[in-house]
Amino acid sequence: MNVVVVLGHPSADSYCAAIFERIILALESQPSHNVTAIRLADEKFVTAMSTAERVAYETATPLISDETKRHAEVLLQADALIFVYPTWWSGLPAQLKGWLERVFVLGVAFRFNDNGKIRPNLQNVRHIIGVSTYGSPWRYVKLINDNGRRTLTRAIRMSTGLRTRTMWRGIYALDTCSQQQREEFIADTAEKIVKRLEKSSR
Amino acid sequence: MTKTLVIYVHPVEGSFNSCVRDAVVKYLSKHDHEVRLRDLYAENFDPFLSANERALHHTPPTTRPELARDVEDLRWCEAIVFIYPTWWSGLPAMLKGWIDRTWMNEVAWVLPAGANTIRPRLTNIKRLVAVTTHGSSKFVNALQGEPGKRIISRSIRVMCNKLCRARWIALYGIDNSTLADREKHLATIGQRVARALR
Repeated sequence: MNVVVVLGHPSADSYCAAIFERIILALESQPSHNVTAIRLADEKFVTAMSTAERVAYETATPLISDETKRHAEVLLQADALIFVYPTWWSGLPAQLKGWLERVFVLGVAFRFNDNGKIRPNLQNVRHIIGVSTYGSPWRYVKLINDNGRRTLTRAIRMSTGLRTRTMWRGIYALDTCSQQQREEFIADTAEKIVKRLEKSSR
Repeated sequence: MTKTLVIYVHPVEGSFNSCVRDAVVKYLSKHDHEVRLRDLYAENFDPFLSANERALHHTPPTTRPELARDVEDLRWCEAIVFIYPTWWSGLPAMLKGWIDRTWMNEVAWVLPAGANTIRPRLTNIKRLVAVTTHGSSKFVNALQGEPGKRIISRSIRVMCNKLCRARWIALYGIDNSTLADREKHLATIGQRVARALR
C-alpha cells in the first residue's frame, strides 16, 4: 500500500514531529507499505498560492512548480493519506492549508465530467487518517468545532472514493499532559494506524 | 463611526474579491467609518509561522517587531471585515497564516499560570464580518460543516469582546453564477457590511 504521511508542524523537535517520525518508523517496518514522508517545513514548501498559480488554477495545467508537481504525482498513487499537525485556531496550520490549495488542483483532486460538473479524482485514496495535537481540552474543541478535522475528513474526503474510511486521533489539553500520557499516545497511535492499514491490505 | 480593519486576501488584482473590497471600502469611507485596509498579498505578508517564531509562542509581542503593525491594527480596531475567497472549505493559507502569526500572546489572548484554556484580550473588537465567495453550493458547504465560517465566528471571536457579533456574508456557487448575480452582490455589499457593523 502506498502511504503518504504529511507533517504540518514547523519544528523538527516538536511533539508533533515525534508522533510523525514514530508513525513513519512503524509503517516502514511493514514490508507491504511503501511510505512517502513529506515534512513541509523541512522542504521549505511555499505556504501561499501565488498570483501565477491562481491564474493557472483556472486552466488545464494548474501545476506550475516542481514542488507541487512532485507532490501531485505522489498523491495520484496514494492508497492512504495521513496528516500529522498541530491544531491552531481550531484549524490547519497555514502551511498545511496551503499544501491543499496548491497541490489538490484540477487533474489531481478533482476533474470535470462531460457536463462540466466537478467529480472526485482521488479515487485511489481509500484511507484518510488525521493525527492532531490540541492545546485546548476536548470539550472546548467540540464547542468551537474541530475545523481542521472537518476540512480533511469532509472537504478533502469528497475528492476521494465513496468508500474512503477515515480515522482520527487527537491528544487534547497538551500543555497539561504528562510525559507518560504523551508517550502512550504516540505508541497507541502508531499501533492503531498500522492495524488499520494492515487490515485493508489483505 | 466604527474603527474598521479590513483584511483583504486575494492573489489576483481585478478578481471578483478585489471588486468587493473596493465596494466595501468606498461605502464605509463615505459613511464616516474610519477604515484601515490591509492587502496581505500586495504587502507580501509571509503566512508561514516558522519554528523560530513558534518558540516565541509564550513571549510578549516585543519579540516579534516585524509584526508590530499588525499588533497595532488589532488593538486599534473596533471591527474586522475579512474579504477573501473560500478555498477547500476554509480560509486561504495567506489569511490563516495571518491569524496564526498575529493573534499572539498578550495581543489576542493570555494564558494564566496553571490554566489550560486561554483568556481573551481583544475586547476592543465588537464586530467580525466575513465577506466571502464559494465556488460550491451552500448545500455542499453545509455537508462540509463550514470550517472557515466557524474559525471566524467561534474560534477567534472568543478572543474578542464578550458581546462581539460575527456576521457571515457569502456568495455561494460563484462558479455557476451569472453576471447579474455578481453585479447584484456588488451593488449591495457595502450597505450589508455597514449594517453588520451597526
